[in-house]
Amino acid sequence: MSGSGSVRPMSKIILIGSPNSGKSLLFNRLTGLAQKVANFPGITVDVGVGRLQALPGTELIDFPGTYSLQAISAEEKVAVEYFESALDDLQVEQVLCVIDATRLEKSLYFTLQVIRDCERHGKRVTVLANMIDVLDAHNLSLDVEALAAALHTPVLPISARSGKGIEAVTRQIEKNRVAGAFVPRSHLIDSPDEILRGTAHQLARRYGPKGDVLVKTQTRLDSFFLHSFTGGMSFFVIMYLLFQSIFTWAAPAMDAVEWVLGTLADALIPHIGNQLAKDFTADALFSGIGAFLVFIPQIFVLTFIIGLLEDSGYMARAALICHKPLRLFGLTGKSFIPMLSGVACAIPGIYAARAIDSPRKRLLTYMAIPLMPCSARLPVYTLLIAAFIPSGTALGGLVGWQGLAMFGIYFFGMLCGLLVTGLVSRLSEDHFTDLPFVLELPPYRVPGLQPLLRNSWNRAKHFVTKAGKIIFTVTLVVWFLGYFPNYGADLGASWLGQIGRVVEPLFAPLGLDWRYGVAIFTSFLAREVFVGTLGTIFGIEGAEENMVPLVQHIQSSDMTIGSGLALLVFFAIALQCVSTLAILSKESDSTSLSLKMFGAYFLLAYGCAFAVYQLAAVLT
Amino acid sequence: MNRTLWSLNAGDRCEILGYDDALADKYRIRLMEFGFHPGESVACLQSPAFGAPKVYRVSNTIFSLDDELASHVRVRLSAANE
Repeated sequence: MSGSGSVRPMSKIILIGSPNSGKSLLFNRLTGLAQKVANFPGITVDVGVGRLQALPGTELIDFPGTYSLQAISAEEKVAVEYFESALDDLQVEQVLCVIDATRLEKSLYFTLQVIRDCERHGKRVTVLANMIDVLDAHNLSLDVEALAAALHTPVLPISARSGKGIEAVTRQIEKNRVAGAFVPRSHLIDSPDEILRGTAHQLARRYGPKGDVLVKTQTRLDSFFLHSFTGGMSFFVIMYLLFQSIFTWAAPAMDAVEWVLGTLADALIPHIGNQLAKDFTADALFSGIGAFLVFIPQIFVLTFIIGLLEDSGYMARAALICHKPLRLFGLTGKSFIPMLSGVACAIPGIYAARAIDSPRKRLLTYMAIPLMPCSARLPVYTLLIAAFIPSGTALGGLVGWQGLAMFGIYFFGMLCGLLVTGLVSRLSEDHFTDLPFVLELPPYRVPGLQPLLRNSWNRAKHFVTKAGKIIFTVTLVVWFLGYFPNYGADLGASWLGQIGRVVEPLFAPLGLDWRYGVAIFTSFLAREVFVGTLGTIFGIEGAEENMVPLVQHIQSSDMTIGSGLALLVFFAIALQCVSTLAILSKESDSTSLSLKMFGAYFLLAYGCAFAVYQLAAVLT
Repeated sequence: MNRTLWSLNAGDRCEILGYDDALADKYRIRLMEFGFHPGESVACLQSPAFGAPKVYRVSNTIFSLDDELASHVRVRLSAANE
């Protein structure tokens, strides 16, 4: 993210704080940008930059949250290294340090370290005591003035969520700016960390909120969500609802998109005089790209629900519940968040894996993430399930067969991820030291609707813009190759048909003809391309005046249920995403790892798909 | 009675006595940053089945620690538990 333009900013301000202190929400409020926020420690995994709305000549730099300037995790190392280099930057004029006013001691030790290091570099610090609205709501208070006096540093009570005190932050920045030469006053400049730890403890006791009403509320909910029985049950129910909702909640919106596209095509295509332009609009634009646009509502719903779980604070509980089972597969409870993020998209999942402090478990998590059923697989799954699984329900409409099939294929992907990491963790030599599990459980919060909708919208937009360019290009090429040299008269004799015959022997053992072979081949750029390519191929082949849904084309093709299942399994395992491979290489600092994973997952995908096809052939 | 943090059951309260020598310095320091100081009172809030990480309250913050860490923290049960 960047708010930089052609004018060089006059100054920079650092925004730093403990994990889950509301720093990213504050960054968004001060800059008007839309950095992802969530109620889970470590959501900021990269440095965000934006311009202050109230002071446009000033850049605000958002650092990943860290508990201390003595880094343990890779994510903390990023924050600490950036912070230390930023303190030497002459353009950095001051530092805003965010603390969680509801849990003062945890934040104060880090704050004292920040004040000490800033004083050594002649930078002014302003402490922002966030979540003051939560204290107000529970009739609790923070002695802001006494704390400021003890720290010899301005302390401002704010609420990034409600906006309370935000104007005072801008005023304080301007005040610091004109305050003249900086003279250290806190006497912390030579204090070692041991002294700071003791000081933080004393200050929190003396000036922090008294009473434990917040913790008691949290404990009551935890006694349900972390209970041996109800915790496990609620986890499975929540995960099941997540996958059911992808079908049920998104279905009306998907139908609406399909209806709009169909109506538009019916209204537009008959008026196009030129046959070439007419065929292109019908086959490439509406059948190809249109087939992909139908799935946007599902991406939106999926991102919305994952955001809901993150913002409510449940995700940290899910990490705890999963820790022991994941440990069996060489992973940690902290792997759960990157893996579930990978259900939306592998890329944020890979970034989120930085928060895993154990290098070995981080590496194993990298291996599991590409097997998580990401949103790019969703259009393929939806298409194949709609083509082969009946749409009926059972148990009085409580269980939909298609939703159950979706749950099954998602579960299969996750299981593959776990089996791979379990196998690799047992076979590989232990080059790394495993690190123990410690996780802060954030308070439960009612998620804000606006950030959730904004994040889901951004994700859907990103899905369209990222995949859309590739899909448009591939669709164009596929249509061109499929339309010429015989102007769509015989797809089999087209250039695409000839290429398809080359690819066909590779996919024939799965019962797939050349059309599916070409679609799989193009999907190695990005999985979603499969749907667009298939839509274009069937569009050229069908040459109907009215749009026919792709599902009907597949149902009327010669594809058997065994091939459909084999295709589902192939897509569940194969690593068909150029962007994921690039990010994986960058984050793991190893191109060889991503290439090995690409090759291994292709072989595994092909082998499993072949086994499924053969099994289905025996059973049917 | 001296025990480890991991041995606590849900509802138990204790006072931290110190740490095992086997615990690496960086984890000892991180635990202290979280508020697990010697002399500090800690409550075990949840002790889930099947060896899942336990949930502890220290000061106004709640943490989850697994056996690899909590078994290195030496504690004394508070009088109310004995």
